[in-house]
Amino acid sequence: MADLADQSPIQLLMREMGLNEANVARRQQIVDLKSDDLTRISTIKDLLVGHVDEHGDRFFDYLSTSEEGRTLTGNRSLLERARALKRAHLLAMVEGDYGVGYAAQRLELAVLYGKVGLDLPVFLAAFHHLLSGIGASILQQSAATPREGFEAFMSLEKVAFFDLGIIVDAMVFERQRVIHRQQDAIRELSTPVLQIRDRLLLLPIIGVIDTHRARLITESLLKAIRAARAKVVVMDITGVATIDSKVANHLIQTVTAARLMGAGVIVTGLSSDVAQSLVALGIDLTKLNTVGDLQGGMEEAELLLGYHVVQAASPPVPSPAATGA
Amino acid sequence: MAVPILKQGNTLIASIQAALSDRDLLDLKDQLGERIGQVRAREVIIDLTALDVLDSFATRTIRGIAYTAKLRGAETVVVGIQPEVAFAMVQLGLSLDGIATALDLEEGLAYLRARGGNRAIRL
Repeated sequence: MADLADQSPIQLLMREMGLNEANVARRQQIVDLKSDDLTRISTIKDLLVGHVDEHGDRFFDYLSTSEEGRTLTGNRSLLERARALKRAHLLAMVEGDYGVGYAAQRLELAVLYGKVGLDLPVFLAAFHHLLSGIGASILQQSAATPREGFEAFMSLEKVAFFDLGIIVDAMVFERQRVIHRQQDAIRELSTPVLQIRDRLLLLPIIGVIDTHRARLITESLLKAIRAARAKVVVMDITGVATIDSKVANHLIQTVTAARLMGAGVIVTGLSSDVAQSLVALGIDLTKLNTVGDLQGGMEEAELLLGYHVVQAASPPVPSPAATGA
Repeated sequence: MAVPILKQGNTLIASIQAALSDRDLLDLKDQLGERIGQVRAREVIIDLTALDVLDSFATRTIRGIAYTAKLRGAETVVVGIQPEVAFAMVQLGLSLDGIATALDLEEGLAYLRARGGNRAIRL
């Protein structure tokens, strides 16, 4: 049962990575794994199977010697699991079947490494350590025929590099996935379009604007204009620290697009630095209506929409609840 | 496919219902130019709500219609540009400079009403 539960995320990962039969075959082709190699590997099969635990220990012992490796070896339950998987790996390495099932096994181990955040250079060093141990024992056994022993080892190394390709890919893929998730989260947080009054929208922009984000900002603004039937949009860029010609262009594009949909845009919050750099860059800002700060922009927008905000002659006395008394 | 041109008081409304070929657009331009004179229209509304693509030729033609109308004494409002179309136009650097735009037909009419007495000639 436990196996089944473990299986499905791995298969999902394989699908996402595009690790299918054709891809596995291509990977074999890349490392130049041929039937000759399989024959040679079978000659050293017994040797490896006989010392499988010894070789596995070399890998984990090496890991435990370094600070970075202890992220894995320090966790008992994960270490046990990794040991079992590594043992299965070493046995499978000499089985001669390097298909999709074999790749799935590699992925399982890679996912485990990724979970503990195993340092890639340390992992590679440990793997090298493991291989050199295997190589030494092969040489020892085939002292009479060193050439055959070396060839068998080279064939095994092809399999090892085939494995590394999958494991490294999986670890990189996992990292990229995390980055993508974070980017998505930032993106969603960073482009709110707020309705302040009937037909008046506020678009606060904070942080760095790149092409991609500018596109998202524009898209969400245009959708909001349609949904709210907005006539005026106040775009506040107080939170944009620096502006270069590219960013200015993005802003102008957003303003132009909004205008095409019948909404006027007021840009507010240009700091003195930003204003100066825009002038220094020689960007034509005649298309932008700018007002110093957000307050001024809101007042201007209300004027445009025909709102007339007056302060009541005698402001209402705050209720006790509101003051917390 | 021909574009119906409706008359409402002093306003001509050209409501584009489906994707137009270049030929259709040029026909629309000719027809509008003529109708403005016939009915002494002071205002023209071009409704693009149904369009999901607007290429450079179409943009240029619409700009041409607006400028022609102005020379004939009528102001043009382009209404109903979809978000995707607006975005694509900006990306492609297509603009409708100097031409009024509004969200939809209702807004366009409201804009013209608000403008009221200010006719095409402003000093």
